[in-house]
Amino acid sequence: MRPENYQAISHPPSNEYELNFGPNHPGIEGNYALKVKLHGDVVVAARADGGYLHRGFEKLMEGRLWIQNIALVPRICVPDPVPMEVCYSMAVEALNDMEVPERAQWLRVLQLELSRIAAHLFTFGGHAATTGMYTTMYWGVADRDQILDLFEEWTGGRVYHIYNIPGGVRRDIPAGFLDRVSHTMDYIESRLPDYDNLFFTNQVFVDRARDTGPMNQQQALEWGVTGPNLRATGLAFDVRRDDPYLVYDQIDFDIPTEAPGDAWARTLVRRQELKQSIHIVRQVVEKLPSVSGPVRTRIPNPLAWNVPPGETYTRVESSKGELGYYVVSDGGDKPHRVHVRGPSSMHAVQVLEQLAVGARLEDVAQIMFSLDACPPEVDR
Amino acid sequence: MKEIDIPIEASVDRNRTNPLARVFDELVRFCRSRSMFMLHYCTGCGAIELPPAMTSRFDMERLGIQPMVTPRQADILLITGYVSIKTLKRVILTYEQMGSPKYVIGICSCTVNGGMYWQSYATAKQLDQYLPVDLYIAGCMPRPEAVLEGMRKLMDRIRSGEADGWKDYYRRYDWYLGNQQHLFGDDWQTPADVIGEASHYDLAGPGTEGEHTRLLQQCQKPLEPQQTFFQIGGSLEVKGESHE
Repeated sequence: MRPENYQAISHPPSNEYELNFGPNHPGIEGNYALKVKLHGDVVVAARADGGYLHRGFEKLMEGRLWIQNIALVPRICVPDPVPMEVCYSMAVEALNDMEVPERAQWLRVLQLELSRIAAHLFTFGGHAATTGMYTTMYWGVADRDQILDLFEEWTGGRVYHIYNIPGGVRRDIPAGFLDRVSHTMDYIESRLPDYDNLFFTNQVFVDRARDTGPMNQQQALEWGVTGPNLRATGLAFDVRRDDPYLVYDQIDFDIPTEAPGDAWARTLVRRQELKQSIHIVRQVVEKLPSVSGPVRTRIPNPLAWNVPPGETYTRVESSKGELGYYVVSDGGDKPHRVHVRGPSSMHAVQVLEQLAVGARLEDVAQIMFSLDACPPEVDR
Repeated sequence: MKEIDIPIEASVDRNRTNPLARVFDELVRFCRSRSMFMLHYCTGCGAIELPPAMTSRFDMERLGIQPMVTPRQADILLITGYVSIKTLKRVILTYEQMGSPKYVIGICSCTVNGGMYWQSYATAKQLDQYLPVDLYIAGCMPRPEAVLEGMRKLMDRIRSGEADGWKDYYRRYDWYLGNQQHLFGDDWQTPADVIGEASHYDLAGPGTEGEHTRLLQQCQKPLEPQQTFFQIGGSLEVKGESHE
């Protein structure tokens, strides 16, 4: 704009003002924005402004073959991509009435739980950073890299693995891999007391996160909250136990809950889930050598694979909450319709808009990170 | 045509007549390459590999690269992955707010040719049609080592003076603006006075002004306060967000 076109804008005097929070903001998680109306530094109203990461996944998937979509789905949720692959593969298997070999199911569980640990380390690292404790973030990212190294050895990819395909998994684990998994689990478990001292029992964190962004159980159910955020309100609902998939019914684990439903409780639930996930990984490592057999069933020629017509809904528990795929097939070689029920679209839009009201501006980032919303999954 | 070429030549010549200018330029370029502030704007999936690259394991800070929160103080704009059309508007706004010299790095395949989303209706396919890109780091997604290697390449290019995409933006502003208008509509405008800056840096050339800048001049309207977002009973639509 040339200078001659500038005009001064006058505002009426007021204590209330509007502020764009994001998308280019260090406190926002990813490329996402909020428009907040403030009175002083207290948020009066908030409105989510997404769409910066919209790629039109559901439309893209209709134009690609069933097998090609495997490469597309992990991009929906970047920090936690494995549940996307597993859930989509499970949906295609359900449409085909396909049995997955038992070894592949255990491998999927191992990958899901490793991905959950990585995602949780990343999330509460981010939550710590919004309260000013950057050391926790540095530690969390560094420890997450240990898991990514395992993934790299296992599948070839650090972040996106494209490892689960309809009918099983692509290949077996390399030799000696389970030893390295248990070694890494030992390491992460030995780090947990350090995290407790540094962050979870830190008075700064407790004071700031307590009573920040509280929601009660009824509100959570009305707003469609799932996952750790729902368990932080005291309801022990977990898809892994209440609607078991893969081999979760043979695995022993607890479902940690907390009553208050505030930012503190939500992050603390994640901290306890970390321990449960390590426990699950240990069981898988113990069980896996005794389960032999193939890691995938034979699928038809993937380039001309006409999936029988029908529709299905499959769901898994991702680190953010309940993740579902509603897939419709019309008998062709491409999906007729795919709908992704991402947990973050509830958490980052309607829940965040409600919880931000009444909070102070500096706590908005904290609330967003405690909800563990994943912007690419909101926009899809 | 020859008259218009003069400013560019003159700026080069003026530097060479002063014997100290060459030494001074070398020194400035060395300092620039060793302290780069990277704008903290995560546009796409590639941003997930930046925390490992920035924190203790790969530690970008030892190269003098630090995240910076405001565009005014930043030197590098990292485009980490696909840019949807809505994001691209913000990216261009951000780029024009950054002070020169400024460098753009396109990370991930999506910035090169659309990548995985080549058929998507919502993303811009080639970033260098809208912004001058100094360096691409290909891959889906590039590992932190690749990001660091790209940064070192950029440092070398800054030292040798090859990384001058920002000059290209001023010299061929009309072409970039034309592509932006093609995507966003004819009434696309930004608060930055790019033509004024181009003449400030002695970079105004034959491609700075043209039919697209004239169109910009015609469609220019004064900046207005945004529609109040929370007006009760009012429309809840965001103004100025119409996508084609």
